[in-house]
Amino acid sequence: MDSTKLMQLREESGIKIIEIKTDLSSYAASDLRKVLEGLLAEKVERVVVNLSQVSHINSTAVGALVGVAKRLRQSGGDLKICSLADNLTRTFNLIGASSVVEIYESEDSALAAF
Amino acid sequence: MAQADIQLQIPSSVFYIEPVRVFVGHLSRSLGFSRKRVADIQLVLDEICSNAVHHGSANSTDSVKLCIGIDTHALEILVKDNGSQEAGKKSWLTHERLSEIETNRSPSSERGHGIFIAKSLSDKHEMQPNEVGGTNVRVVFRFPKPSDINL
Repeated sequence: MDSTKLMQLREESGIKIIEIKTDLSSYAASDLRKVLEGLLAEKVERVVVNLSQVSHINSTAVGALVGVAKRLRQSGGDLKICSLADNLTRTFNLIGASSVVEIYESEDSALAAF
Repeated sequence: MAQADIQLQIPSSVFYIEPVRVFVGHLSRSLGFSRKRVADIQLVLDEICSNAVHHGSANSTDSVKLCIGIDTHALEILVKDNGSQEAGKKSWLTHERLSEIETNRSPSSERGHGIFIAKSLSDKHEMQPNEVGGTNVRVVFRFPKPSDINL
């Protein structure tokens, strides 16, 4: 199964939005990395990742988000995350990634932060 | 509740971790763990199985074994890998490697959080080399006390 089909891309005001519709366990995390690498290859600079439909995320997926956020910042862009369930917020906090990636309550607030 | 010992064997591919994660989630809920604790158990399982696939297997024809034990006071999960042939060493568990992973882990690291998560979220976490040269990772989650159960 290709879980990239469950990661829908759209654009608003020049910002790419990835809406993820699958849990991000080890298998889907590698697909998330592929999607994010694809955006980097297209020279996309501003990305919002909407996790409102995700109930599980593992450290591989968090690492992919952190890595791409760092690379985008080097070129003046950024990756922001929004709409996390409580257990996802706990995972980001446990790893410490919430101090590296900006997290917003809603997609609108993440978009407005650019 | 009856004591049980559930044995699973999956191909060494991340594809098969997800159905096991879902199964263990259902099992944990049935055992009375809170929603928060079920999420912890599922995350720890995902992390240790992912390590077994990525670091403890020679290739995808290899397998990862899981033993899920239920007794009167806890849920125990044991994940066994066969070891990789990387750098001529089968077991990825060495004191040097563990120490390196723990030293290098930081919030901005893209990798190396799995063991930290498993240690942090389980009630007991043990890692040791096994008889086939791979690594056994054992985690224990104690059942909630009746006073802690959210109905």
